Amino acid sequence: MKEVMKIGGKLAAICAIAAIALGVVNAITEPIILAARAEKLRLALSELSAGLEIGEFIKTDNESSIIGYYPLSSGEKTEAYIINIIGDGYAGDLNLLTAISNGGEVLSVVLMEDTETPGLGKEAENASYMEKFIGTGNGSIIPSSKSHLNAKDADSITGASITFIGIGKALNEAAGFVSQLGGM
Amino acid sequence: MLKEFTKGLIKENPVFIIVLGLCPALGVSTKVINSLGMGAGVIFVLLGSNIFVSLLKNFIPEKVRIPAYIVIIASFVTIVEMVMEAFLPALYDSLGVFVPLIVVNCIILGRAEAFANKNTVKASILDALGMGLGFTLALVIIALVREVFGLGTITLFPMGSFNGVIEIPGLIDSPVRVFGLAAGALLVMGLLKALFTWIEDIRRVKQ
Repeated sequence: MKEVMKIGGKLAAICAIAAIALGVVNAITEPIILAARAEKLRLALSELSAGLEIGEFIKTDNESSIIGYYPLSSGEKTEAYIINIIGDGYAGDLNLLTAISNGGEVLSVVLMEDTETPGLGKEAENASYMEKFIGTGNGSIIPSSKSHLNAKDADSITGASITFIGIGKALNEAAGFVSQLGGM
Repeated sequence: MLKEFTKGLIKENPVFIIVLGLCPALGVSTKVINSLGMGAGVIFVLLGSNIFVSLLKNFIPEKVRIPAYIVIIASFVTIVEMVMEAFLPALYDSLGVFVPLIVVNCIILGRAEAFANKNTVKASILDALGMGLGFTLALVIIALVREVFGLGTITLFPMGSFNGVIEIPGLIDSPVRVFGLAAGALLVMGLLKALFTWIEDIRRVKQ
């Protein structure tokens, strides 16, 4: 019994020192990380809003993958919405922000957070990756399957189809959500 | 003493000769910059864990040595993760899930178990630096082949007006995409392992 206590005590001491060290590093890095995230969100919103006025963030209370939305207005009239939606990626959630017009057209998309594979799914973080979705919707199909793409775009997602399908499905859901909201 | 450092580079290269840490080696080696970032992270964690395991080798009870090593390694990895997210956010984003996975990189636990818990702090530091640099070297070589052929580029750190991307004429327009995929990673790894084994054989015959 004494032996077990001694071994357990030594292991607990190592854990306690590790926890203190981590606490100190966290106290130093946390404010920097939070400020960087806030700045990233501010930049993404200003890019997505394309000059329109960004309204207050409205959280959705249902349990869907849509976290919430920002109305985009010019003057009194709501022209579009920025939807914050979670898609299913290859290695976890894809946190997306997308601007969708009242008519259901995808105006722009930014991938905010993901844990996809570097060099494959992570390519979706590049602005050029999202070009295949922009301008779709509002009568045309928002691509969510390789068969919806031309040969060059289909080639570019080789090895990362699940990421592409995850984004496509999320955008379709976001467009459906905007059509429910209507031009409030 | 110097051989503790040099052995990790070629003779006992952790990736090509000991064949450890293959998951991250194949996972992040799509671009040279990712390999350099991963290598730097592994060197830091390996150095920290080797130093502490060596310092505490008489304090850590034999029966719970593996949990103790894992606590030490996981702490250093978490520190790397927090520091990288705060000060190198672009690299942190591009390495993704592979940063927390350094915890289960067998090179680090392997060196703690096979070297640091039997040797002095000084020898453990040299071993960590050699093995860490050997791992980085292996990753950069794999990434160089995969990125040049698979994407037609070489991505390094951006500096001033240089955006960090060197484009290879000819390959940039029609890259051999398989090199960027998992199959290409295994292919390149296999060929490089054969090359390293061949170099090692020649060296042994000469001796």
